[in-house]
Amino acid sequence: MATNIMDRRRINGPARSVEPLYGPGAAGADPFAGGRADGRGLDQVRAIYMKTGPLSGGQHEPSESAASGSAYYEQGRVRVSCAVYGPRQGRRSNARMGVFDCEFRYAPFACSWKRRSHVRGADEKEISLMLEHAVAPAIRLEAYPKACIDAFVTVIESDGKAATIAAAINCISAALADAGIEMYDSVAACSMGLRGAQWVADCCQAEEDAAPCSMLIAHMPSADEVTYILQHGKATPEQTDQAVQTCTNMCTRVYAVICRCLQASLE
Amino acid sequence: MAATAGQVAFAMEAFRRIHPVEFQRRFLSQETRHDGRAFGQFRATQVVKGTISSAQGSSTVRIGDTTVVCGIKAEVCEPDVRRPDEGYLVTNVDLSPMCSARFRAGPPGESAQVASEHIFRLFSGHVVDLRELCIESGQAAWVLSADIVCVRHDGNVLDAAIIALMAALEDLALPRATLDAGAVTADRSATTRLTLRRRLAPATFTLVDDAYLVADADDAEEQLATASLLVVLDGDGRLANVWKRGAGAIGRADIARCIEAAAARISATGE
Repeated sequence: MATNIMDRRRINGPARSVEPLYGPGAAGADPFAGGRADGRGLDQVRAIYMKTGPLSGGQHEPSESAASGSAYYEQGRVRVSCAVYGPRQGRRSNARMGVFDCEFRYAPFACSWKRRSHVRGADEKEISLMLEHAVAPAIRLEAYPKACIDAFVTVIESDGKAATIAAAINCISAALADAGIEMYDSVAACSMGLRGAQWVADCCQAEEDAAPCSMLIAHMPSADEVTYILQHGKATPEQTDQAVQTCTNMCTRVYAVICRCLQASLE
Repeated sequence: MAATAGQVAFAMEAFRRIHPVEFQRRFLSQETRHDGRAFGQFRATQVVKGTISSAQGSSTVRIGDTTVVCGIKAEVCEPDVRRPDEGYLVTNVDLSPMCSARFRAGPPGESAQVASEHIFRLFSGHVVDLRELCIESGQAAWVLSADIVCVRHDGNVLDAAIIALMAALEDLALPRATLDAGAVTADRSATTRLTLRRRLAPATFTLVDDAYLVADADDAEEQLATASLLVVLDGDGRLANVWKRGAGAIGRADIARCIEAAAARISATGE
């Protein structure tokens, strides 16, 4: 149920609206019955499409208010757009180090289940913080004293929550590189879901709903350092260990794709 | 010593940043624009429908570098007691800090509020017949939440928003819904399309620097705007809306010419 908060600054609909009940469709069925729905292997990530500079470059000289760097990232049906502004003067500042700020938002129509409220939800704030923690270690913040680097991420379409966060991390890394921010390495992220005793890469929403445990890892492959691990749900320590191993390997593969895109953008 | 091409480009970039007004005037006084367009020329417009599968209707529109995405989510609500046979169309424009450094995070700013309100009045009841959204009189109706998200702001967002909403409404596939035992059940396999009363096509003209009337201004030109004129025509070439904003004076003859130019643009793009 969506309770719409009345806000005079927006066009308001009725106070209460709900999703209709969709007939007895595939809900409740095992999404893995007969292999994965889209025919992928268990360790296969959905096809990635990435483009740098959709919000900052252009045929003519970009306007002054355009972003310093930007990227569009697509992984299956997950679509994320990110703009990076900076280094610029910011609200918070630190005399020794730059500040990296991130704002993560879902577009109101991004999720397949219900429409999201305009008011920023707690989960969006939480994910913003996660993205900051995952990406900030890669940035040479000491090179930008007193400055602020802002990343704004908008999810245009979501399919799997963990996969969306991973996509956001990859998108921010690419946008930071596009903005020419000094970094130690690009951060590549990948998510997995547990199915029985087997880890399944890059789960879509239906697969994620059926998985008892999910894992998200952000990794800097050249430096071989992990910047973020998030495990949700139930798994044995051995399974978690194994997940960290497989997931970092997959991050390296995603990293190769990101690097190829970044190289192509320079040619 | 002759300057190299790189030096010229650098000097031009510096000039543009330091004296943006003078930079634009140099072009405009020569009857041209900084991106090489003629005064009456629109940027290329690209419309793609059905871009988002999590929404019941969607579209992506590009006018030059300006990009907006419109998604329509259909939900069920109780109709207003005063209008038991009508549903709702709720249109909101979102100008986030992602699309331009000019916008702040948080609740919508003034320009977003004005755009939302204007588009709402333009569409609700005039384009969509709200009675078509009724499921069961007095008990259940559809509420269409159309959210127009600006991904990149390079001027003329209002035109892009109107085109995007129009395209998303055309793309909208509403599942067939029935009310039984107090719950609305919808069938995704049987969808209907809305019959739209009229097809709106917008064109915006901007008075730059109080002297030059240009079509489809980009962000740099909008910064020097003293007035703007939005002309919305419907499929039969009749006027649906004329909206002049700003203190700058636009002559009556100019307004007539703008309306003609808007009609010419629509027939040229085949919309």
